Amino acid sequence: MKNETLLLLTVSVPVVGAFIVPIVGRVSEKLRNLLALAFVSTSFICSLCLIPSALSGKVTSIAIAFPLGFNFVLTADCLAVFMAAVSSFISSVIVLYSFDYISHYPNRDEYYLMVVLFLGSMMGLVFSGNLIFLYIFWELTAIVSWRLIGFFREKHHVLMADKAFLVTVFGALAMLVGFLFIYQKTGSFDLLVIKENFKGVPVPDIAVLLILVGILSKSATLPFHTWLPDAGIAPSPVTALLHAAVLVKIGVYVFARLFISTFSLDAAWHVLIPIIAATSALVSAGAALVETDMKRVIAYSTVSQIAFIFLGFSVNAEIGIVGSLLYILMHGLAKGGLFLCAGIVEQNTKERDITKMGGLIATMPLTAVSFLACVFSVMGVPPFGGFFSKYMVFSGAVTSGQVGIAVTFLFGAVLTILYLLRLFNHIFLGESHGKIAKEESVLMVSSVMIFALVSLACGIYIKYPFLFAQFATKQMLGM
Amino acid sequence: MLTNVLLLPITVPTAAALLILMLPKKFRAAIDAISLFGSFLILLLSILLFKRNLSYSMPALGFGIEFSLRLYHFSGFIVLAAAFFVFLITLYSNAFLREKSYSKQFYVYLLLSLAFINGAVLSDNLVSMLFFWEGMLITLFGMIYIGGKRSFKTATKAFIIAGVGDLCLMLGVAICFYISGTLAISKLHIPISGIGGAAFILLMMGAIAKAGSMPFHTWIPDAAIDAPLPFMAIVPASFEKLLGIYFLSRISLDIFEMSPDSWASMTLMIIGSITIVFAVSMALIQKNYKRLLSYHAISQVGYMILGIGTLVPAGIVGGLFHMINNVMYKSCLFLTGGAVEKQAGTTDLEKLGGLKKYMPVTFICYVITAASISGVPPFNGFFSKELVCEGALERGFIFYLAAIIGAFLTAASFLKLGHAAFLDKSKNGKLPIKEAPIRMLIPMIAIAALCVLFGVWNSLPLKLFIQPILGQERLGGRDFSGMPHNSLLVVITIMVLLGALLNHRYGVKKHGSGLKAAEHIHHAPVLSYIFNKAENGYFDPYNIGLNISYGFSKVAFLFDRAIDWVYNVFIIKVSKVFTAAARSLNDGSYKSYIIWSLLATGAVVIFLIKSMIGA
Repeated sequence: MKNETLLLLTVSVPVVGAFIVPIVGRVSEKLRNLLALAFVSTSFICSLCLIPSALSGKVTSIAIAFPLGFNFVLTADCLAVFMAAVSSFISSVIVLYSFDYISHYPNRDEYYLMVVLFLGSMMGLVFSGNLIFLYIFWELTAIVSWRLIGFFREKHHVLMADKAFLVTVFGALAMLVGFLFIYQKTGSFDLLVIKENFKGVPVPDIAVLLILVGILSKSATLPFHTWLPDAGIAPSPVTALLHAAVLVKIGVYVFARLFISTFSLDAAWHVLIPIIAATSALVSAGAALVETDMKRVIAYSTVSQIAFIFLGFSVNAEIGIVGSLLYILMHGLAKGGLFLCAGIVEQNTKERDITKMGGLIATMPLTAVSFLACVFSVMGVPPFGGFFSKYMVFSGAVTSGQVGIAVTFLFGAVLTILYLLRLFNHIFLGESHGKIAKEESVLMVSSVMIFALVSLACGIYIKYPFLFAQFATKQMLGM
Repeated sequence: MLTNVLLLPITVPTAAALLILMLPKKFRAAIDAISLFGSFLILLLSILLFKRNLSYSMPALGFGIEFSLRLYHFSGFIVLAAAFFVFLITLYSNAFLREKSYSKQFYVYLLLSLAFINGAVLSDNLVSMLFFWEGMLITLFGMIYIGGKRSFKTATKAFIIAGVGDLCLMLGVAICFYISGTLAISKLHIPISGIGGAAFILLMMGAIAKAGSMPFHTWIPDAAIDAPLPFMAIVPASFEKLLGIYFLSRISLDIFEMSPDSWASMTLMIIGSITIVFAVSMALIQKNYKRLLSYHAISQVGYMILGIGTLVPAGIVGGLFHMINNVMYKSCLFLTGGAVEKQAGTTDLEKLGGLKKYMPVTFICYVITAASISGVPPFNGFFSKELVCEGALERGFIFYLAAIIGAFLTAASFLKLGHAAFLDKSKNGKLPIKEAPIRMLIPMIAIAALCVLFGVWNSLPLKLFIQPILGQERLGGRDFSGMPHNSLLVVITIMVLLGALLNHRYGVKKHGSGLKAAEHIHHAPVLSYIFNKAENGYFDPYNIGLNISYGFSKVAFLFDRAIDWVYNVFIIKVSKVFTAAARSLNDGSYKSYIIWSLLATGAVVIFLIKSMIGA
């Protein structure tokens, strides 16, 4: 198949397919589920097929010209393909998990519509070569996640969904204004045109600031992060999809796309952003150590880990960028696994307060071991993949001369160990609180085991993701 | 490829571990056999590899990260020692863990640990070393966790302490790469000034945390109670010393350019001295066989760090010789503790006594190894301790003093332990106690015999293993085998040992039993207050660190809630004011809405066109 066709399929199959899903759902639940999985995994397979040409340095793109710089452009460079492959793989596993999870609840047609549409808009965003279309897909993910967070329809849940929506949309609007500032200088929203225009010319700081507000709010970084733990009331596969693996990575992805790949930042930003990230890492890690709600702890952990990704991207060192790309992969896998494990525990015990749990390793051994494996990967313990990404982000910070920031993040990494072990111990070890729960769904347990095993494989066969990320970095930096 | 042989010390134990993992728990005989045969195979392999120089590397990944292994004298020696002790401990565990439901898990973790330690020691690249080094966190957690229902708390403590050390190491490695642009250990020569000093501190913290020195030690006494006994004999007593001290020597001798008059050398000696004195003091007042030993596992590291920290040949040779000697007598001592635990059903000294009659072989092994650790001639510990003392005296009297005080208290605490467990009147109801099974005795006898051999014929280990590590150039042509060169120091040592014996007799006479032989020190004014606080974890750096972290977290959480308040309350209030104003513009008339929309669209189009032309 031609690369252009593959690229088009990656984006269009889930976007169009999303609307077929509920119609099929009227006929057969089973067929609908399989179809949803098929649509999402089509994206995954297509983005896998794009890897060879991306690695050969070829940039596949589809462009439809529009006046006033509104060209519709889909570009598949290494960065985009990497991001697409990671998010569509994680989404596929999450859809598989959903089969059993969501069958307990009403509104299943809408659920699958939203999940598939979410992945579709994510794919659109990842491949967008034009700021306006990037913005449109960005808002599409916000609308979809708003529906998904409030999925259970309770009043409190709807409020939290509104909060998530308002904060991220506020950020997105600020970002849009930032885009307009760029447009004012270049007369186009096309990233290629913008890149040409800003060769050697600094981007206006006000534009950087506004875009950064959008990025930070989407990637739930201090001070725009509190919507993320609150959104933990959503169904677990949704939190896995939004918080862990995909939605929160949009911000960091756009950061890489704009501030590394398209234009370069003023030197002051390379110091300022790590400071923001460090504050975010420490505050949220601290909150994770105090929280007692299982999913809120994991959500705060996401905020904290996202800060590591920002650190690697923002320090202006090649090794840091490679590290952060790997971090997106490793953290997505491990954190997705953690949320899905939390979902298994929650569904079987009907409990979310970790102080009221304990001893579940006896009845849920596979979930416990998978959870622990994901915990190790997030902590950065080898042989899990998280080790390499954490080391490289640290190395990036040191390479750029910011040893002080690296030491701050070291404290953040220590807190990571503390809150994750606390979480694991409270849920799985110690005295049982009388809640005897079994692992009922084979499908759900296998999904979390997939995440645990892939995390392990990514550590042992680090060579492949590493070389891919390194190539993407070189392409981004134009080396 | 011939060089692939180098992968075997990593892959063989991993394969054996995976094989055991796949067997069902009830195939006990097969599990025992595989673990024993596997460890024997690795021992053979490491004997074959010893004294060879090989290297192996995979294509580099970039940024200095490379999977590369290098076998040379030093790494071959550590691999050999680790394999030897794993084999003996496996033999012992086959009998010791017979009735335990966790024996399968234990062997899996043990063999995986061996693979990790071999990988870490053989690695010639800091990141690949870190990969294996940090991997031991998982097996550490697992091995303590299986010990009992409440063991996970100690496992968590051990994991956190070791994890902090490993993170320091990770940052240190990153700084090394920043300074020298390479991660190949054999190519690193970093001056310890400026940021190089920071790298040294971080790497050193990683190394001494692994070795179990102060202030990274407090999980070890807890693990002595909670973890399965063979764990104590193989991990804190053997693996961690071998790996930690190996890396500390690599740091001090190869990676950094250090001279004896540098602050780094001084730092090491201070850490070593403090560890010796404080840990052994804590050992003296313990009333549990295993817990008492565990404090010696900490205290003895002090001698190694002090010896290497002196950076003079006598001290370094002494420190490294002490490392291998310590691994022998300390693991054997733990094994005698295990024999006592299995046969008498407890390790609480209040309930033990009179075991000499029932367990004569165990007693003899205890006497030999206790004499070795106390530095009684002609056992191995005497010779290495003398060398450390010689090196310490060369660098400053205060360090020598610390070593001597340590020797006194070590002897005193082992007199107390032996007296209480083997000689005092029996307080155990369950009589008669039988001698331990043969499979547990063989490793003990073998190690005790080696303690004698390495002492009487110390030129064997020194010339075969230790001195070639430094090489002729660093040794300056000196040979440290045979009798100690400074006979004055020997006289002082013997006087100190006699003093310890007199002190013991005084204590026994005063309080009437071996168990209480150290009570006069324990309950001395001031000391009793300090001991009391220390026993309650008041000085535990782990507790202090946790309190700081939790305190910080509470503040962070409040800050987080404050930010959330801004969203939940403040912004809503403010926006209500604005919406009140905006509401008046909504008059419900289509006409005005259309006008608003047209005006806005017009503005956007004008902006776009203007920008197009402007650009």
